[in-house]
Order: sequence, then C-alpha cells, then structure tokens
Amino acid sequence: MILNFDEFQKANQINGELDDIRIKNYNIFQKKGFPSKKEESWKYTDLKTLLYNNLNKLEILNNKKNSQYHDKWLLKNFQHNQIILANGEFISSTFSFEAKDKIKIKPLRTVLKDKKNFEKIKEFFDDQKNSLTSLNHALVNDGIFLEIEDDYLFNKPLVIYNFFNKTSESKIINNKCFISLGKNSKLNFLEYNKAEDGIKYFNNTIHHYSIQKNATLKKFSINNNLDNSYNYNLTNVKSYSNSIFENFLLSSGSSFLKNEIHCNLLGSYASCFINGLILLNNEQHHELQTNVNHRYEHCKSSQLIKSVLLDKSSGTYQGKIYVEKKAQKTDGYQLSKALVLSENSAFNSKPELEIYADEVKCSHGSTTANIDQNSIFYLMSRGLSKKQANKMLIEGFLSEAAETITDLNIKSLISKLLIKKINEIKFETNED
Amino acid sequence: MLQITNLSASIDDKKILNGFNLKIKPGEIHAIMGPNGSGKSTLANVLTGKNGYQVEGQILYQEKNLLNLPIEERAQKGLFMAFQYPLEIAGVNTNNFLKTSLNTARKARGLKELDSLDFLNLIKTKTKNLKIDEKILNRQLNVGFSGGEKKKNEILQMTILEPKLAILDETDSGLDIDAMKIVSDGVNSLRSKDRSFLIITHYQRLLDYIKPDFVHVLVDGKIAKTGCSELALELEKVGYGNMESGSR
Repeated sequence: MILNFDEFQKANQINGELDDIRIKNYNIFQKKGFPSKKEESWKYTDLKTLLYNNLNKLEILNNKKNSQYHDKWLLKNFQHNQIILANGEFISSTFSFEAKDKIKIKPLRTVLKDKKNFEKIKEFFDDQKNSLTSLNHALVNDGIFLEIEDDYLFNKPLVIYNFFNKTSESKIINNKCFISLGKNSKLNFLEYNKAEDGIKYFNNTIHHYSIQKNATLKKFSINNNLDNSYNYNLTNVKSYSNSIFENFLLSSGSSFLKNEIHCNLLGSYASCFINGLILLNNEQHHELQTNVNHRYEHCKSSQLIKSVLLDKSSGTYQGKIYVEKKAQKTDGYQLSKALVLSENSAFNSKPELEIYADEVKCSHGSTTANIDQNSIFYLMSRGLSKKQANKMLIEGFLSEAAETITDLNIKSLISKLLIKKINEIKFETNED
Repeated sequence: MLQITNLSASIDDKKILNGFNLKIKPGEIHAIMGPNGSGKSTLANVLTGKNGYQVEGQILYQEKNLLNLPIEERAQKGLFMAFQYPLEIAGVNTNNFLKTSLNTARKARGLKELDSLDFLNLIKTKTKNLKIDEKILNRQLNVGFSGGEKKKNEILQMTILEPKLAILDETDSGLDIDAMKIVSDGVNSLRSKDRSFLIITHYQRLLDYIKPDFVHVLVDGKIAKTGCSELALELEKVGYGNMESGSR
C-alpha cells in the first residue's frame, strides 16, 4: 500500500512548524507500518492484514471537492446543537440553544494554519502511541476545536455528525477534535456517524478532552449504521479534580471499529465512567480498549461492557485500570460480559489491573457464555416463539449497560436504535 | 382435555417414565404425588415440551397430538406450567414479559392484542385479587425475588394467561402458609368446568387448600395407585414406601 504523501504534503504546505511535524511523523509511520498482531495492544486485531485485504488501494483524501450530505441524515425529534463534519472536513456548527459568547468553536484547519493558535495544540503532536497516531499527526488537515468557558452549562446536547459520502471511497481520513471544558461547566455530546451506502474508507481520528475542576463531560458514541467503514478512534482525556467524564458507546455498525480510550484522573474526586454495548453480526470486528489511569487519590472509575456476537463476528475488550503509588483510596471497577451466539463468532476479553498504591478498592470480571437454553424454554413455555425469546433475552442482556445512560433523551434515542438493530438481526443461533 | 397413553420418557438412555397412563377431563383437578425421582417433574417437562427427552407413547391434548406441537404453540393453545424453579431472567421487565406473553396467546387465538392501558388495568386487578405487591411488575423477571415471590409470580402469570390446562410442578415447595394461601386462591379462583389442573406435589398440605378430584401416586415412572383426596391423607401417614404397586 503506497500513500500519496508527497502530493498531500505539497498541497498542504503552510511554511510553518506543522510542515516539519508532518514529514517527521510520516517517516515514523513508514518505518512502523500499520499496526499488526505483533503489538500487544493490537494482538486481537491485525489491522495491517485487515486493510490489505479490504482497502488495498487506500489513498489520502486531498481535494475536498464534495462535502455534501443528506438532510435526512440529521436526527429528528431531538432538540440539539450541532457540528457537521463531512469526509472529515468541518462544514458548519449551530449552537441555537446556547449563549454563543460562552462557546469558542473553530474548524481545526484554521487553528493548524495560525501560528499563535497552533502553539496551543502543538504538544499533542508529540504523542507516539502507535503508528496510526503518527499517521494522524502527519495527515490531519481538519477537525474541531471547541472551548467552553467556566461556569457554562449547556442547555441541550451537542451532536457531532460525522458524514461520509462518495468522495471518501477508498480514502484514509485523519482528523482531530479538541474539546476543553472550563471549571464548573457541563456538556453532553453525541457522536453520530453516517456513511453513504457501500462506501469503504478508513477513518483515523484522535480526540483530546480536557475537563477542568467540577466540570462534567458526557459523551455518547453511536456507531449503529451498518457500513463498510474501518475506524480507529483514539480518545485522550485529562480529568481534573472533582470532574466527571462519562462515555457510553454503542459499537455496532461499521465493518471494523477500534475505540481506544485513555483517561487520566489528575485531581482528587475525579471520576470516569466507560460503559458500552458491542452488538455485532456478519463479519464485523470491533474492539474497545480502555486505559484508566488513577494518578491522584480519591478518584473513581467504573466500566461495564456488554457484548453480543452473532454470525462470524468478533469482539474484543481490553480494559486496564492503572493505579499510581500516590493514588490512594482509589475505587476502580470493571466488568465485561459477552454472549457468543454462533460457533463462528468470538469474543476476547483482557481485563487488567496494575496497582502500585496499597489502599485501593479495585475489582474486575469477565464472562463469556451462550444464551441459557433453560431461559429460552421458560419464555417459550409462556407462548413466545424461539425468535421472540432470543430477542427478549438479548435485549434484556444488553439493557443492563443501556441503563447506565444518564441523559434521559439520549437514553431513549439509543434504546430505540438498539431495539431497531436487534429486530433487524436474523437470529441463527447455534442451538439445535 | 388430556389423555396420556403408555407414555415413556428417557433422558440419556435412563428411563424415567415407563408405561404412564392418565386421563383428565375438563373441569377436573388431578394431583400427582410421589417420592423423589419418581418422574413427576419429567412428566411436567414432557407435557410442556422441554427438549432433551426421548419420548414414546401418545398424548392427546384437546383431541390433538400434543407431542407434535412446538413449545410455544402448546402454551398458545392454553397449556401452562408453573415451574418448580422459576428462572431469573436479567434485564427483562416483568410487566413487558407478561404483556408480550398474553398478547402472543391472544393473537394465536384470534383475539385483539391488549394495549398498554388495557393491560395495566388487567394486571392491576389480578395482582390485587391475589394480594401480590404490584412493585414486582417493574422489576426484572424473577431477579432477586424470594422463593415465595417467584412462585407467586408463576400464579400471577397463570391467572393472566387463563390456561385450559394448568400444571403446577411442586409449586408448594418452600412456601410459607401465607404464600400457600395465595397459590391456592389463584387456583381456586380459576376453577371452572372447562379448565383442568394437574397438581404435582410431595406433600398433602397443599391439598388441604385445593380439593382434588383424583389423587395419583407415581412410583418408578408409572401410576401405582389412584384414589380420591383421602388417598393423600393416607399417604401422609404411611409414606410412599408402603405403597402397593399396581395400576389404575
């Protein structure tokens, strides 16, 4: 696979520091190549082979000739502010329900081009987590830069739409999103992806959130539209004292999706909640990797992941809780439960605790099972068909995680999407 | 209503029911008593359609071959079993489950499905009549229920589904007197000339509250003795060990 980097580099030259950063990072990427099973955190996902088999002619998206999207893709009957990205490009933002002077929003491309602004985000280009991170540093040309002022509480949720049309076909799209919340502020946002039918692309994004003292950020990631996309989403969070970070993920739509979340709890009483549903069929492969770092005392983290795997799909959860020596009185919890419903589906779970403090409460657990045939019998003895019984049990199984959603409007939206998805699935389970 | 002829059932080549015969007419209450391992629960499971048994013989239910019907159709046609050990089903709301169950049965019988409001009214009356706390309706199905609550929930399901033939598989086991009263009130309130009951129990105690028309003693997979309700009292005195064998 040869990416057209030189062409991209020429077209995006700005005669500034970013030019060198791009070249440096592209060289790092070239040396490493796409991640493969040799790397510990990619041992369940051989991205190199996956891309080689499915996106052999991957190119960098360069000329932005078409950024159209369909209005029908916008969420209806749901009051919200919105930011629209099409093929990774910042198209528009509307904050109809908010005090506009409290919110600073910019397309990332303007930040990248402006020397003074770029200084603010330069440090984030030093992160060399893996080759995709380096590739993102080299190829980023747009995204979101959002700052919320101290004490500002959003009235309505923000929806960040990620639309992809035909222009994205066989392209790799790299963008970054920066969101920072001032002290005592609050934002609920929903990330919503939608692609035109049959488009195949690779979306490589990095998000950085900074949540200052007493602030609350709730993120809901919805990936439920069946599409042929390959996605890697890296999220880095800095949580300061008494702040709350909540991330709920519905991981169900794309051919490939890896969500990787690193949350750093940097002040006392900061908390982090990561809950999610992985519901896959056909040949989908999704992975959730979390890394919650307790770096200060009295912090709390909790994770609940429920997965259902059908057909030839596979899912992976790699969850790590890391507790630094000084992070006494840490409360950490992590649980993954999976239902593997076909002989050809698989679920890998790797829960990890790494603890250096001596006064902590940490627990983790992981179960993988098939559906309980006695429960099916019980429901069928009450007149339900096998299909109805299966659906009811799967819905019930997944609902435990859906119950953790604390925004009621978003909860009802996600529940509807989930039920729709369960109803669409053909249940060919491996019993009888 | 139900005619069982020469029924045998085995599991993993182990014969549990062997030459079992029973006839239940509409409106009758039959009690089956018997020692542990005599095949009582197997009988209930075979009637309900649980997988895993090799079954021979004939079962006619409302003049139809029951063994050919899938589990859910048996239920939709009015066969109900109150489980000995009702299952805990996480994440499934009791109220939604009951509504789905009732509406599936109604649909199969060509009746209009109940909307949420009609169902709510129905279930409020039923819980009140049975003196069951309405709160269980908003809980997950049987999850964290006490033994008594689970059994009461079975009886509630029975009164909602209004079966033609109800099988109670050791519903009385582990119940205190108050819960036993609720269970028997549930059965007695449903008693009618076209509804039959098959009550499986270890103890005579339940039969103080529900008066059966016939009592059968099941030993080694077949009926060893049949009598009227006094037989249960006799059993209580002499035990199963002294039961003479010989069929009806």
